[in-house]
Amino acid sequence: MNNLQALRGSLSSEIYKYRSTFLLWFAILSPAFIPAINLVTFLHSGDKILARGGTAWSNLMQYSTGPANFLFPFFVMIVALFMNQIENNSNSWKLIYAQQNPRWSIYLAKVITYCLILFLGLTLYMGLTYAVGKIVHIVNPELGFGAYFSFWKMIERSLMLFIGTLGFASIQFWLGQRFKNLMISLGIGVGGIISFMIVAQGWKYARFHPYGFHMLAGSGVENDKLILWQQMEPLYLSLGLALVVFILAGIDMNKRRII
Amino acid sequence: MNHYTIETHDLDVYFKDFKALDKINLSVPEGSIFGFLGPNGAGKTTTIRILLDLMHPEKGKVKIFGKELRQNRVDILKRVGALIENPSIYKHLTGRQNLEVIRKLVGVPKTRIDEVLEIVRLKSNADKKAKGYSLGMCQRLGLASALLTDPKLLILDEPTNGLDPSGIIEMRELIIELNRDYGKTIFLSSHILSEIEKLATDVAIIDRGRIEFLGKLDKLYNQNSGLNVNLDVNDLNKSISILENSQLNVSKSDDDTLNVQAESKEHIANINRILVEAGIDIYSIKSDNNLESVFLNITQKLDQ
Repeated sequence: MNNLQALRGSLSSEIYKYRSTFLLWFAILSPAFIPAINLVTFLHSGDKILARGGTAWSNLMQYSTGPANFLFPFFVMIVALFMNQIENNSNSWKLIYAQQNPRWSIYLAKVITYCLILFLGLTLYMGLTYAVGKIVHIVNPELGFGAYFSFWKMIERSLMLFIGTLGFASIQFWLGQRFKNLMISLGIGVGGIISFMIVAQGWKYARFHPYGFHMLAGSGVENDKLILWQQMEPLYLSLGLALVVFILAGIDMNKRRII
Repeated sequence: MNHYTIETHDLDVYFKDFKALDKINLSVPEGSIFGFLGPNGAGKTTTIRILLDLMHPEKGKVKIFGKELRQNRVDILKRVGALIENPSIYKHLTGRQNLEVIRKLVGVPKTRIDEVLEIVRLKSNADKKAKGYSLGMCQRLGLASALLTDPKLLILDEPTNGLDPSGIIEMRELIIELNRDYGKTIFLSSHILSEIEKLATDVAIIDRGRIEFLGKLDKLYNQNSGLNVNLDVNDLNKSISILENSQLNVSKSDDDTLNVQAESKEHIANINRILVEAGIDIYSIKSDNNLESVFLNITQKLDQ
């Protein structure tokens, strides 16, 4: 078994084990939560919302990104927890690490699956938000959802949010892997989000807070005159942090006694 | 020349300051059922985790199939199947799906799943969710998963733990069948002496992280041919001091009786005489020479 085969086997096994799990349904249903509320809101009171100004699409995006910025970190925390809890609850760390596959391939397969779930969750969220605009347009064409809206811009935005999230997502993943106790990982995650909200009020180094990269990352795409370093800084920081933490977590897993 | 499937040399393991394994030297002959016997907490599972590269010893070497484990991990583990303590089972999946998770991981053909289900006699329940399985079925599923790669060596850690008597008999038959019909070397850890006695060809006894005996089961009986004598008396403490004064190896049982190591039947009569002459009332005398008494003989020597 060469390295690529080992990774492919580990990845295929990793994805397979999530069938009929809470995590799978959570990853599918939770991105639909806010779009479902927005659908009802715009169908019921779309005209009142638009009366306050702005285009139909800009209003919908506003109604979508605000809650998403707040709720997405919780989505990340829960996914990170349950990806590791599935092994804790099944007592199966020893089972998978006693197989012939190199340890790194099993670890990397988990990391890839984790990132994939986060990215698909975001893409699903953006896709459903787009679908909300289209459905509202069919029911009430006068609201203005027939106007041009770039779907690709939306994908780009979801990619930015995804990269901005990777920094703290890697920390949550490591915590989930390290501690069986859910409260430690959840507590640090919630503490991270709250502390960013506090330091964002005016501390000049707030932009280096890992739990805020995803919120700061959105601003880059809005601007047509994008300055690569200045406006993309949160993304680079997030990506760099993720790389460091995922590597350290990998070394930790490689050396760890599986008891 | 002997061929050993497993060889360990001077394994030392610490958990912080506690020395869990102390110079463990094991030699497991190819084709044997090797009983790894010891009380709970003696170091059996720690040794097994080292054999599966789940943890690394502070000192010492492990050779499996004649190759160093650390340098040849992938090549060795390809030929090793393991069932460690309680089986690792994804309860939300069916038995077959559990095997599919491991099959995908190790890359064996899909047809192998039915073959191993057949071996462990779980085919009729393979499509039921594992959360509805009895402990015996879970153990058999764990064994099926260990057999997926058709390993030459099976490492089974307390495979009969928690099973009811019929489950124990089934598991025992399965282990014998795997050794006899499929030619697998089996490393079997247990704290249940009768299990090892019925299955093993070779034995190691571990206590407090040290190997106290290693060799053939017959050799163990011959080396420790003394009898374990159990006495129920009216005055326990007085009896202990009398027998100790007579240079005898005495210990107190959990049920407030005495255990004495005797060398022969004549020796038992002598013990009886000493106690009666000292005015002790004896209510019963029992003696045996099974693995249990040999094991107690070895481990109680350590207590003194």
